[in-house]
Amino acid sequence: MNMIINHSSMQPVYEQIVCQIKGKIIKGELIEETLLPSVRTLAKEIKVSALTVKKAYDQLEAEGFVITVHGKGSYVASANQAQLLEEKKKEVETEFEQAIRKARSCGMEDSEIRALFEIVLEDS
Amino acid sequence: MQTMIRLDNVVKQYDKFRLDCSLQVPEGRVTGLIGRNGAGKSTAFKTMLGLIEIEGGTVKVFGKAAKNLTAKDREQIGVVLADSGFSGYLRIKDLMPVLDTLYTDFSREQFMAGCERMELPINKKIREFSTGMKRKLQILAALSHNARLLILDEPTAGLDVVARDELLNLLREYMETEGRSILISSHISSDLEGICDDVYLIENGRMLLHEDTDVLLNEYGLLKVTFEQFAMLDQRYLLRKKKESFGYSCLTNKRQFYQDNFPSVVIERGDIDKVILMLTTSGE
Repeated sequence: MNMIINHSSMQPVYEQIVCQIKGKIIKGELIEETLLPSVRTLAKEIKVSALTVKKAYDQLEAEGFVITVHGKGSYVASANQAQLLEEKKKEVETEFEQAIRKARSCGMEDSEIRALFEIVLEDS
Repeated sequence: MQTMIRLDNVVKQYDKFRLDCSLQVPEGRVTGLIGRNGAGKSTAFKTMLGLIEIEGGTVKVFGKAAKNLTAKDREQIGVVLADSGFSGYLRIKDLMPVLDTLYTDFSREQFMAGCERMELPINKKIREFSTGMKRKLQILAALSHNARLLILDEPTAGLDVVARDELLNLLREYMETEGRSILISSHISSDLEGICDDVYLIENGRMLLHEDTDVLLNEYGLLKVTFEQFAMLDQRYLLRKKKESFGYSCLTNKRQFYQDNFPSVVIERGDIDKVILMLTTSGE
């Protein structure tokens, strides 16, 4: 796997691993059902402790990008496209909530908010 | 999943030194043992190998008391100690049949391949080897008989950076097979940071710290502050402080907290050397 780890960075190594693998999955460089390198093999390649790689794989699994099958290894999760979409939609929902809270806190009425939304939607 | 090595409140009393510590190495782990010279690392190793009697606690290897290990059990352990070695009169060529007889699972091919890779001459007497070459030979021998456990006391001492890198790669490859563990001590912290899953810090015969390596590298940090800055610092997460010419250097295990709340303060990433320096020397 082409992975470059910056050991001098303030960003924890396991985070770098998570980001890079996630990036490859989203870009389609790692397609579903691809078997990721074993924890120890990747640890050897990038010269970090196996536990660090395991933490990264565990986090990827918790976020739904990877599925670990005991005895076989970790696979890129199928239907991750749908999951990614779900995630993106949730993020949009959260951002809408934040914008609405802000609007209300400065005294905007719901009708004002709706009108503003329509204008922005039209213009974008 | 077996615990490969287990020291439970092991006590060994010498004239002026007392070992009193616990540690565990589970299967599939690479554990580092760090500490100053004379802190008790070698003594701890000797208890694990049944080389010395203990006065308290229990030492178990592969689940058995260390002194009850059979010859077959010992074949499962690859050892490199500071003062161990092979007879200088032998050549590698002579050593091979000895290792072959000693170990049921000795692999000539693997050993020879290793010697070639490390550029060790098989027809030269071992006493003519440089320190580095002797070290490499010890390690290759330890790796050549399919041991389940490696106990290595400063295996990279005296080796140049290229040789150290090669050796660590050998150890990483060794770990690619399931069911193995390594306990390794070293003064060269960067070596350990690239392979150990966790480290134990021993000082004066006692364990001062046990932490996952990536936690040490990601969550520990060294704050460098003036006396004035120190006065307004939240001291809750400072493990130790040391007086410096500029003020204080402080070890924390919550680097992110200080990065978030005191952004103007200089904070360096944690590493094994900083932890050793801060926790084992007197504070002020």
